[in-house]
Amino acid sequence: MQSLEVISLNIWQVLISLCNLLLLFLILKKFLFKPVKKVLKQRQDILDEQYSKAQGALSDATKAKQEWEEKISTADATADKIIDDATKTAKTASEKIIADAKSDAEGIVRHAKMNAELEKQKAADDIKREIVDVSYALSEQLLGREISKDDHKQLIDSFIENIGEANDGE
Amino acid sequence: MLKNKVLFKVVDIFYLALIIVPFILGMALNVVTKPLADGIEITGARIFWQIDFPVQPLVITESQVNSWLVVIAITGLCLFLTHGIKAAGKITVRQHIAEFIVEKAKNLVVTNMGEYFEGFAPFIAAVLGLSAFSSLSSLTGMFPPTSDINVVSGWAIVVFILITYYKLKCGPVHYVKTLCSPVLLTPLNVISEVATPVSMAFRHYGNVLSGLVISILVSTGLSGLSKTLLGWLPGILGEIPFLQIGLPAVLSVYFDLFSGCLQAFIFAMLTMLYVSGGFPAEEYFKRKNKKKQKSIGGN
Repeated sequence: MQSLEVISLNIWQVLISLCNLLLLFLILKKFLFKPVKKVLKQRQDILDEQYSKAQGALSDATKAKQEWEEKISTADATADKIIDDATKTAKTASEKIIADAKSDAEGIVRHAKMNAELEKQKAADDIKREIVDVSYALSEQLLGREISKDDHKQLIDSFIENIGEANDGE
Repeated sequence: MLKNKVLFKVVDIFYLALIIVPFILGMALNVVTKPLADGIEITGARIFWQIDFPVQPLVITESQVNSWLVVIAITGLCLFLTHGIKAAGKITVRQHIAEFIVEKAKNLVVTNMGEYFEGFAPFIAAVLGLSAFSSLSSLTGMFPPTSDINVVSGWAIVVFILITYYKLKCGPVHYVKTLCSPVLLTPLNVISEVATPVSMAFRHYGNVLSGLVISILVSTGLSGLSKTLLGWLPGILGEIPFLQIGLPAVLSVYFDLFSGCLQAFIFAMLTMLYVSGGFPAEEYFKRKNKKKQKSIGGN
């Protein structure tokens, strides 16, 4: 079998190898670079889409959070108001109860005082009557005669009154 | 669903076969057609076919056939890597590799040539792939196409055409002006213009061929040395060239693996540098902007 010299130029061979390189260039472009670039672009698109989606979700979440915070703050205010109202009602109620209790107590005390006064009066009257009776009996015994009961009573009354006045005067 | 899976596997196997079969074919062709050589014989590519053509006969040689086989293998590799490629979901290893290659080629081109030349990525990848795989095909015992000057000069001519095309982007007047920029150096500039592709072709081809020659020389020399030193061994032991074990393998690692890949890289690098260096970017964009403004003003 024949073979070429080690260094020998053949233009057809040069041309063939030139075409080989161009052919391989086209093959690489079509079968390697084109599909890979297409896939990379698709992936970029997907990433962009997901990124924008995530951004949207984030903004939604921020909005919801804001709303929630607003609601929380208003809820605080409402709770404060409710508590305030309750305290106010409770205060008025307690004041009313205290006032009622006070007036009741005053009534009771007054009543008791009145009773005591009455009792005192009654006791004084009783004592007076006793004294009258005793003095009447005594003077009857002493005088040996019956004096008119009415006169006597008058006398004693005036006497007791004098005593009372003297006592008061002291 | 199951049918699709089976079909996918079948296509996969077909693509894998497309990668592997060319190399097996090349080896088989080598075994069938290579005459048993005695001693040192360094020749060019063997001629398979010869047709009479004007100027020179058209010859189909080993180097052409082997580069076609390499092109087929690279096509199979591309198809295999991009088979079942998808944008979302679980990404397979092969898709990672495909994306890695594309991204790396793009980055290499953009960093060395600038954004304007981004479309050069497939071409640079083709240069790198064809050159590297051609040199590496010698590992299978095939004749490396890159050790044939015809093959490499074909690539260099493509590069020369590209360089000149981008130099002519600003019109022939500007091209001639840059060629004669110091008037005295005009002949030198013209020579250097022509010397660029020639030097590229000779550098690449010379490196690979010299590696081949050195490997053959060392291997035959060691066989002779083995015969003289260990010839006294009885029987068949004396026939075995023991000294050939080891050193040729180390040389092969350097000349076939390292040098082959390095020369491919150098060729691609020089292509990028010459094309982007020859392109008068400043002048071109100035003119483009002027044209744009004019068209805007005209409207």
